[in-house]
Amino acid sequence: MYERRRARILLAVFALVSLVLLTISARAGDEGPLASIRDGVMTVFGPLQDGVAAVTRPVGDFFSGVGDLFDLRAENARLEERLQQVETRRRSYRDVQAENERLRELLGMEEDLTNESDEYVFLSTQVIGFASSNFEWTITIDAGTDDGVAKNMTAIDGAGLVGRVIQVGARTSRVLLAIDPNFSAAARIAETGEFGYLTGGDTEPMRLNLIDPEAQVEVGNEIVTSTYRNALFPDGIPIGVVESVGEETGSLAREVRVRPFVDFTRLQVVDVILREPPPEPVDLPTVGTGEDEPASDEPPPSPDETG
Amino acid sequence: MRRLVIILLSLVTAALLQTALFPSLTIAGFRPDLLLLVAVAWAYQDGPITGTIVGFFAGLLGDLLLSQPPVGLDALVVVLIGYGVGVARPYLAMAPNAAPLAVAASSAALATVGHGLLGRLFGDPRFTFQLIAQASVMVAVYNTLLSPVVFWLVRRMTVRFPPSRPAEL
Repeated sequence: MYERRRARILLAVFALVSLVLLTISARAGDEGPLASIRDGVMTVFGPLQDGVAAVTRPVGDFFSGVGDLFDLRAENARLEERLQQVETRRRSYRDVQAENERLRELLGMEEDLTNESDEYVFLSTQVIGFASSNFEWTITIDAGTDDGVAKNMTAIDGAGLVGRVIQVGARTSRVLLAIDPNFSAAARIAETGEFGYLTGGDTEPMRLNLIDPEAQVEVGNEIVTSTYRNALFPDGIPIGVVESVGEETGSLAREVRVRPFVDFTRLQVVDVILREPPPEPVDLPTVGTGEDEPASDEPPPSPDETG
Repeated sequence: MRRLVIILLSLVTAALLQTALFPSLTIAGFRPDLLLLVAVAWAYQDGPITGTIVGFFAGLLGDLLLSQPPVGLDALVVVLIGYGVGVARPYLAMAPNAAPLAVAASSAALATVGHGLLGRLFGDPRFTFQLIAQASVMVAVYNTLLSPVVFWLVRRMTVRFPPSRPAEL
């Protein structure tokens, strides 16, 4: 009886503390003392995760490999075909990029940072941890402010866009993956140049909302990042390929699903582009059904792009 | 004091394995909730006081290891689960073999649903009903598979480092 009474008191106290923390955290957002405590925990846990990852990576790879044994042949054939496609795209994209540069010079337009891709500095990092929850898609990398990493920097791997840095410690950082539903990016169709906004779909394909709902889009179109409205990411980073296109129903948005190039379950090495993000990132609209679109021309703020 | 250190170490180890190892060992894309499982194991072994305290700190540690949800979400869910398992302990003793499995499965499902619904309440777009349902089933399955090992380890630690007084952490 005594034990239960004491347990009930403890429950009431801890539940109250949890509610207070929830209130403070929800109001303060990315700022405030709790965000600092989170940064501190990430700093402390980072080296531990690094050590555990170094030991457990072979174990994880082994079990992943066992699961793949049955699919190796098909995987090999698929990868060879994809490599050919990537090579073709890379060559064709460079041709398009070269033509784009010539056109910009002809029109007298200023070159923006995105055309100076040769000047980017890439920092190679190891993935040392993933989110502790099944509802968050983030990774922890073994680089931080000491290595020049800053918030909102872009993370990529050999296949394409991985995400953006959302939390930075001295030696570790956390990257929000592009498949997280809170992630959004300005994007364009590589073949046609049509602009849109892309959001993560967690276990589902990503969703692309085109600015022009009547724009031409086909299954197989490649989606790349765009600097539309001075958005966060450098231009031209591959994101994925259009997997399905919804029917035009007369509503403002047509559902376009994009399959990402990056395999987010097998991330091990990630490059961070050490490029300062634009000083005033544009708020991107949240993905809606079109019924939630505001009456004005300005898009409503997105939780991701506001950092 | 040593017992307290052992409990803390068990939580830190669970957190490290959950973030560094189990993302490579997912079932249908979902990983287990080791922090919850360890908290529930302590609650099952020791009762409601330990379950409440360990549940709160396990949930809080999980919250602090994330970047987006508000801090306190998991702490609130796991403290309730820990208390509930501790209170139910005398009734679970009637089925000592099946009880850990049932506790692991039901606590995982309840915690995942609770976390998801609270997340929706805070307006987070990630917590769709479909995802909550899928996650609750898969996390329950995964936690149930791991429960014999985790419960056995916690039982061994309780025997090795017993509480100095009854009804004490």
